[in-house]
Amino acid sequence: MGRSLIFPIDDKYQSYLSDESHLTGFADSISFPGNEEEIRTVIAQARKSGQSITIQGGKTGIAGGAVPQGGHILNLSNMNQVTSFRTTEEGLFLLTVEPGVTLLDLTREIKKLDAKEELFWPPDPTEPSATVGGVAACNSRGLTASLYGDAKKYIYAVRVMDADGKTTEIICGNQSGKAQSGIADVSKVHLGGEGMFGVITELTLILLRKPREIWGICFFFSCEPDAFSFAERLVLYVEEPLGAKIAAAEYMDRMTIDMIEERKPNTSSIKELPDVSPDAAAMIYVEIHGADEAAVEKYAEELLEMAEACHVAADATWAVSGEYEVEKLRAFRHTAAESANLYIEKISHTYPGICKLGMDMNFNGQSLASVVSYIKESAEKNGLKVCIFGHIFGNHLHPNILPDNLEQFHKGQEIILEWAAASNKNPGEQNREHGIGKVKKQVFLSTVTEGTLQQIEQQKKTLDPRGFWNPGNMIDT
Amino acid sequence: MKTAVCIKQVPVFSDGKMDPEKGVILRDGLVSAMNVYDLPAVETALRLREEAGGTADVFSMGPLQAADAIREAYAMGIDQGYLLSDHAFSGADVLATSYTLAQGIKGAGKYDLIICGRQTTDGDTGQVGAAIAQWLHIPYAGGVTAIISRKPDSITLQQRLDDEQVTVKMSYPCLIAVDRSIYISRMKSLPGKIAARKKGVAIITLQDLEDHDPQHYGLSGSATKVEKIYPPERTHKEPIMCLNTADAVNEIMKILENSKAV
Repeated sequence: MGRSLIFPIDDKYQSYLSDESHLTGFADSISFPGNEEEIRTVIAQARKSGQSITIQGGKTGIAGGAVPQGGHILNLSNMNQVTSFRTTEEGLFLLTVEPGVTLLDLTREIKKLDAKEELFWPPDPTEPSATVGGVAACNSRGLTASLYGDAKKYIYAVRVMDADGKTTEIICGNQSGKAQSGIADVSKVHLGGEGMFGVITELTLILLRKPREIWGICFFFSCEPDAFSFAERLVLYVEEPLGAKIAAAEYMDRMTIDMIEERKPNTSSIKELPDVSPDAAAMIYVEIHGADEAAVEKYAEELLEMAEACHVAADATWAVSGEYEVEKLRAFRHTAAESANLYIEKISHTYPGICKLGMDMNFNGQSLASVVSYIKESAEKNGLKVCIFGHIFGNHLHPNILPDNLEQFHKGQEIILEWAAASNKNPGEQNREHGIGKVKKQVFLSTVTEGTLQQIEQQKKTLDPRGFWNPGNMIDT
Repeated sequence: MKTAVCIKQVPVFSDGKMDPEKGVILRDGLVSAMNVYDLPAVETALRLREEAGGTADVFSMGPLQAADAIREAYAMGIDQGYLLSDHAFSGADVLATSYTLAQGIKGAGKYDLIICGRQTTDGDTGQVGAAIAQWLHIPYAGGVTAIISRKPDSITLQQRLDDEQVTVKMSYPCLIAVDRSIYISRMKSLPGKIAARKKGVAIITLQDLEDHDPQHYGLSGSATKVEKIYPPERTHKEPIMCLNTADAVNEIMKILENSKAV
């Protein structure tokens, strides 16, 4: 293999064998290509040596999608350029980027664009070091998905390289590829495909105009039933004032709050937030986006009334506006996920083999109260600690089991299967915000419908018959 | 107890573009917020009011949009905000800014205690508080890290002076500049934020001040003029080393030993 492009895995590259899930894999070699030509060279070398390829971005995934199971690691972090920006005749703002651009850099680059208006890319899975390629591969959603939807809605086109080194430009939503591959819209396979069908070498993103007004509000509840009651009212509330919409509604239990509070003194983005009252049993974060300050304020007033009816102390709420201040509350929410990941990292040092036991579940058609009670009772019955946070709309929760030892970890693995079965009829089709990867594969396979599984297997057979790309993700090959 | 807090609206981010004539930062189009060092000053005033009763007001100098910083203070619980805003005040340095604020505070009432933050994130001088005290002929303590006790006629506080912490008792009226570490400031509450938008800000112009000679304010009243604002040039680049764990540890130890850190 070429000396300057491909490196054998030694001590220096150990950190590339893992991601935020703390699942650890193995590989023979790694490369950091800077352009398509270098990717092509790496692919050719891997093919020659009979190796498979695992694609990596920011290694921020929590499902082990970028954790190698042998072969070669294709790390795209050096493909991090914003290449062009244009406005179409239809008024679309299109930004073309390489897949290794992080969300943090993307935000910075968008700010520098020569556009008359302030723009943004809506997918926000809250981890700023995640790469655009990773977000696309998982079709991530994030905090404001209830208003903006998932990542694929904001991807106009992708350029994909196959195992022969051939690149194809795919306009998302275009069905012209059907005759060739038998797949109606091949972009849908790649977006959310977890790198199992080829490597995305370029993406054209759809940017939106930034909402003029953004408010972030934290409501604290002294008992959980009050939080559930507020959540129900939020979901049922249909009289949104014109010009303002709820973009995020996030639930957080006390265990999650405690974990954040513990990390707060050492987390620069949130260390200047005051302590959450020890009386708070749960918190709900609501973000309102709108074009008009009066409309957003009116909405906030209505939410306050609603919260007071659920016994929220109005003066104890936190309310901020503007991107800069809202970012602090988003950082608080992001620390929830990070705290759970760090807990696992810490315990895995004592008990190697422990990795993330988090779920990505929709409990559609059930109340938040019944879902949270079910998870807590189930964890308690089995002697497990659990923290629960996640999106209120769709009851899309992220319960994280926090094992103290290997025995609890194995118990947790079983319990999560039970939870997945209880979540809804077709969870595998709906709960892929974080990807399935390797960590959530067992749960996915235990709940996915036969039809969906067959469809994925067929797509894999069509687009990657040799099983070259990201082996071990999502399905058994 | 009557407390006044001096606050400033500053750009959240700035690329350092300046007005070549006035030597001041060009603020048009920049996202602005209350100076972060002022937040603990507001918090100190609110806590003193909660303990001792009375009022906590804020004063700021700037263009009319600086009223937004005062509304931020309202949302935290401040009683009344005063904005010193007049074309004559623009381009002011420490001397003219402190004089303007001192004039405004003097005209608005008799305050027992005036509180400033340690510095601003744009001007960065950290001298306005002391200068206001000088104009008002009242005692001053900077670097205040704690309020130890409070009496009807005085306040006892802890002050950090270079390498030592001292306890100081000051009679009212007096002025203190608080360190950022004194308190973590409270968040704005939702009712506070909603009410703040509707609450009026008292605008003070040159004509409202006791001394309304324009020569004493703004650029004319300033003793200094900024020639140029520019980001410091990076002259030293840290090398990035990719080493295995054992070599990395040895390398770090070598650096620490060479710098006499260990």
